[in-house]
Amino acid sequence: MKHKKAKKYGMVIDLDKCTGCGSCMVACMAENNVPFRKDESNKLLSITWMRVYKLTNGKPFPNTDICYLPRPCMHCEGQHEGHSPCVTVCPAIATDYNIETGIVSQIYTRCFGCRYCMASCPYHARYFNWWDPVWPDGMEKYLSPNVSPRMRGVVEKCSFCFHKYQLAKEKAFMKGRRELKEDEYQTACTQACPADAITFGDLNNPNHAVYRMAKPDPKHHGRPTNPHAFRLLERLGTNPKVYYLSSREWVRRAGDNYLENESIAKKPAHHE
Amino acid sequence: MKIDRRSFLSFLIGGGAGTALSPLPWKLMDDSSIWTQMWPWTPVPEDGEASYVNSACTLCPGGCGITVRKIDDRAVKIEGMKGHPVNNGGLCILGLSGLQLLYGPTRVKTPLKRVGKRGQGSWEKISWKDAISEVAKILSDLRSTGQSHTVGCISDSDRGTVPRLFERFLTVYGSPNLMRTSSIIDSYELTLHLMQGVQASPGFDFENADFILSFGSGIIDGWGSPVRMFRANSAWRNTGGKIIQIEPRLSNTAAKSDKWIPANPGTEAALALGIAHVIIKESLYDAEFVDNYSAGFEDWKRFVLDKYGPDSVATITGIDNTTIIALARSFARASKPLAICGRGQGTTPGSLDECTTVHALNALVGNINKQGGIFAVAEPDYINWPEVEMDATAAIGMQKDRLDGAGSKKYPFSRYLLNRLPQAINSGEKYPLKALFVGDANPLYTMSDSKAVKKAFDKVPFVVSFSSYMNETAQNADLILPNHAYLERYEDIPTPPGMPKPVISLTRPVVEPQLNTKHTGDIIILLAKAMGGNIADAFAWNSYDACLKETLGNKWQVMIKKGFWSYPDFFVQTHEESFDTISGKFEFVSKETGSLKQFKPVNIEGDKTNYPLLLMPYDSIRLANGVIGNPPFVMKSVDDTVLKGNNVFIEINPKTAGEQGLREGQLAMLSTPVGKAKVKVHLFDGIMPGLVALPRGLGHTAFDDYLAGKGINFNELIGPVEDPVSGLDTAWGIRVKLAKV
Amino acid sequence: MSALDDNAKEIAEDAGGEEIATSSREINTKEQDNGAGGPIILFFIIGLFASLILGWVIFPKLLYSKKKQPIDFNHVLHVAEVEDGCESCHFFREDGTYSGVPKLEQCIDCHDEIQGISHDEIKFVEKYVSKGREVPWLIYSRQPDCVFFSHAAHVKAAKIDCVTCHGHIGESENLKIYEESRITGYSRDIWGKSIGGFKKNTWDRMKMDDCAECHRKNTANISRTGVKTPTNRLIGHIIDLVSPGTSVSNKGGSVQTERDACFVCHK
Repeated sequence: MKHKKAKKYGMVIDLDKCTGCGSCMVACMAENNVPFRKDESNKLLSITWMRVYKLTNGKPFPNTDICYLPRPCMHCEGQHEGHSPCVTVCPAIATDYNIETGIVSQIYTRCFGCRYCMASCPYHARYFNWWDPVWPDGMEKYLSPNVSPRMRGVVEKCSFCFHKYQLAKEKAFMKGRRELKEDEYQTACTQACPADAITFGDLNNPNHAVYRMAKPDPKHHGRPTNPHAFRLLERLGTNPKVYYLSSREWVRRAGDNYLENESIAKKPAHHE
Repeated sequence: MKIDRRSFLSFLIGGGAGTALSPLPWKLMDDSSIWTQMWPWTPVPEDGEASYVNSACTLCPGGCGITVRKIDDRAVKIEGMKGHPVNNGGLCILGLSGLQLLYGPTRVKTPLKRVGKRGQGSWEKISWKDAISEVAKILSDLRSTGQSHTVGCISDSDRGTVPRLFERFLTVYGSPNLMRTSSIIDSYELTLHLMQGVQASPGFDFENADFILSFGSGIIDGWGSPVRMFRANSAWRNTGGKIIQIEPRLSNTAAKSDKWIPANPGTEAALALGIAHVIIKESLYDAEFVDNYSAGFEDWKRFVLDKYGPDSVATITGIDNTTIIALARSFARASKPLAICGRGQGTTPGSLDECTTVHALNALVGNINKQGGIFAVAEPDYINWPEVEMDATAAIGMQKDRLDGAGSKKYPFSRYLLNRLPQAINSGEKYPLKALFVGDANPLYTMSDSKAVKKAFDKVPFVVSFSSYMNETAQNADLILPNHAYLERYEDIPTPPGMPKPVISLTRPVVEPQLNTKHTGDIIILLAKAMGGNIADAFAWNSYDACLKETLGNKWQVMIKKGFWSYPDFFVQTHEESFDTISGKFEFVSKETGSLKQFKPVNIEGDKTNYPLLLMPYDSIRLANGVIGNPPFVMKSVDDTVLKGNNVFIEINPKTAGEQGLREGQLAMLSTPVGKAKVKVHLFDGIMPGLVALPRGLGHTAFDDYLAGKGINFNELIGPVEDPVSGLDTAWGIRVKLAKV
Repeated sequence: MSALDDNAKEIAEDAGGEEIATSSREINTKEQDNGAGGPIILFFIIGLFASLILGWVIFPKLLYSKKKQPIDFNHVLHVAEVEDGCESCHFFREDGTYSGVPKLEQCIDCHDEIQGISHDEIKFVEKYVSKGREVPWLIYSRQPDCVFFSHAAHVKAAKIDCVTCHGHIGESENLKIYEESRITGYSRDIWGKSIGGFKKNTWDRMKMDDCAECHRKNTANISRTGVKTPTNRLIGHIIDLVSPGTSVSNKGGSVQTERDACFVCHK
């Protein structure tokens, strides 16, 4: 039997629209049963699958500029399918690259907490549960049954709301379909964003908005051909599935480590 | 038989072999690994049938529609309602965290009566029956001794059925002292009253505007109805609409705007006049509107041309005169320009002159009651209750002057002046306040000069809070009559601030009441019935729900189905019929006040020698600063350059910090004429030198351990400054000094 | 140098001393062997049998606590009454999720009042229906929280019969005793009735290897979702080593890509 073309779910975040309001962060926490503690101001310990970073251009008043950058898990594909930085180092097969969807999974019950993956993730997208999750008395009532609460001693991260994919599939099965439509599977952050800054869909499907916005170049590991699009730490070759759009050059430069006088690498010319 | 060591060993070996051949070790290994992977103390959320309930959020006045996902009878997630006219699917960070309030530890679980000292936190449970008869007794005693006017009520809103029930109760009881938490809406309502002669709220047609001139309004920092503003901001990105942001600090709004113009703090009105000067001088204004539908233009024109040339405005505002001229031209030439004011989230009303001047700019370009402009939106009069029959006591009480001075000779145009209440109580100049009801409001946290507010509250012998949550005001009350949480009750949500068309949303129960609480509407009705006589007669309903259903009439079914009621037939009045002033026209110079819109700098507190710097608050959508404090999820989103441990950071320009000898992360003592606080220093290039900015929304003493005790409440450091015309609070900042500790 | 030499000498002496001790022990053993060969084997056998009995008979009795279902439900009786087979009561919701064990809501249509003379039905109506309380059924096939199982994918998309995993429970007249592992709190039916883990039918066990077995047989050649458990991966590797090219694992995949989507079934 012939294989259907695999999906490659990804995200495009328009930083011109992002207001830094944090709705994506909280929608994610609410959707995924993320625990919280009394003091969350130590951001190395604070579990935020989606975290909004504040970037500044470093110029003095009044030429200062700031930009917010939401950072989910990048679901890196690597140079070959599945060579994500974290997946390759996991000794417990607790994190995995799904070829059907391109999503990097995390299986909490398999994870034994060595945190290799955290060390290898260049995006700080992974978090360790230093404590047992505790909800104040009565607050467990709002926990969603679709995502298991994590125990102490395991690593967790953004799953692109994979459970929503599962639920959407179940719904499609009832209608006798196996394929999902674009709007049937959307992550919690995408849905919550009041600025419509986040777009989610299949990067392999030319009809999906993410494809049209990022214009990934399959010959160069999905590097965006839209001149306003960029990916974080592109030159590391992690081949992430999260693209950012910004009309401001300093923001695009902030997405990778450039030398002071180096210009952003020109896209390799392909004039076929 | 002798069992020696060898036999024993042999036994053990046999045992070992047998064990290995039995399932025991393998099964044990399997089970224990399952056990360790699923610690019994890690909660396992129960699965069930998913369902969705449409309701409306009440956590801020924004009035967003929400869809709550339920699993059986548990609410598990709040999402924005698709198709709702305010937010169409999106939702803000606070709205998304609502379930942490519903199921959280800050709820007041049952009616409570204070034992021990006020604010000490010792309570005893009291039955609903006893609680209501206790309030009824105190009110009856006051009334029978002719002191009905000494009863006051503070609410966040004066619209919708619950605030109107409070108003009705006070009227038939005999007290004029219903007060509303103030905001920029007060200034706008007054502006519309003075310039257009109407009693209405401002409605901004952002969706159709293409050039927004914002005098410090935090368009994406929570001004107006926050989610609607986020959506409008994104729409401008798609359509090419421009935002010009004028404020001394690079806020999120400034950063996202097309041009950020840092003006000297407090000089926004001068800039508006400078812009008007250029527009008039270059005849860029809408002559059709100005000539036909306005009055007083010539007087105002002379005045503006005389006094506010770009050069003098440049000196006041610190903005280049070429920038001012260019700004004026692009504003006037834009096809749908719109000027707005209200600093940050608009929690402070600000100077009336500023608001009227900015409004005059809109009139100059002729965008009053016009697509892409500003509308005067009257609240739909769906609340048509029979007139109350007042007895003599009530009539006498209602004729007494309001304690806050609104409507008095000094401030004849203002309707509510809550900011003046503490001073009125503390000075004892009029009459004491003997009992105070606090509805959906948290004045002990949200009002400026916390110390004076606390002192005033201490002078009121009987304070009743209706709060669902243990906030600062509830903590200092004598009696708490907890309302159902918003996801447990029916209530109408009136038009959110800034909406150009009226829309009523319906909050409805998503889950059964979880605790021993009662709807505030029901409490008022029960209280009225307990009082008897005319008061009881004015409240003929059996329950609040019955009252709401009857009030909404044929809208009820639609609202149940859709979640909201919008007015499709809401039509825009023509300019001929829009203005109800003395002249029947838009008045650049109000005939009622006779005053010109001019720039008089607000005298903020403090002298320059002792307090060399300026302190301003800043608002962030990630810090709720109203009735509700941040739930844990929202706290989690606060950056570590805003709060670290329990220390809040001030923002200060590196240059100014250098002059003060302060480094990043250092502790410093911040002192203003009103109060002082220990803060940490965060160097931020985006703030004007000489300024210090502190976030609003922290420094709670109530709520839970996830919020209380973190940072400083800005209101402890600033006091109100009265506007000479409106009496509203105009303080935009206060002088401050910083010292190393 | 001299210090090193001293050390060496000491070690040699120690070793020598040990040798002597060992040889004297050997002598002792030989003496005893002559008279006690039988008992040693006997003790071996006693140990062997005792532990076998412990492991096979006593251990399961200790491990599982036995619980009676709150109501003894007769599937046969009900299946005869309904039209749609299992799905009449164990139905799919519109959103594709599976309802599992029926709630009171479904029973109430018929059991609003007592229908027959069955003692259990009377108990059901009196104790639960009239009081509006849900029956705390003990669910034989409840998987741990880390497992995501889509009934829709198996029943609706792949058209698998209920019996394949749940056996002929629809033909039962009584509910069997629910046995719960004292360690994990989960039902015995997951591991299977046989404590040794042996199975004859597909529905005898519901462990991950059982999912894998079926998936390897039925889906390995049509999709890449063949379930890879640590055990069958190991077996796969061994087969690969011994006779390359015969195992069902995906060809051409690297070590990384060979694993796939654990989260299709785990959450």
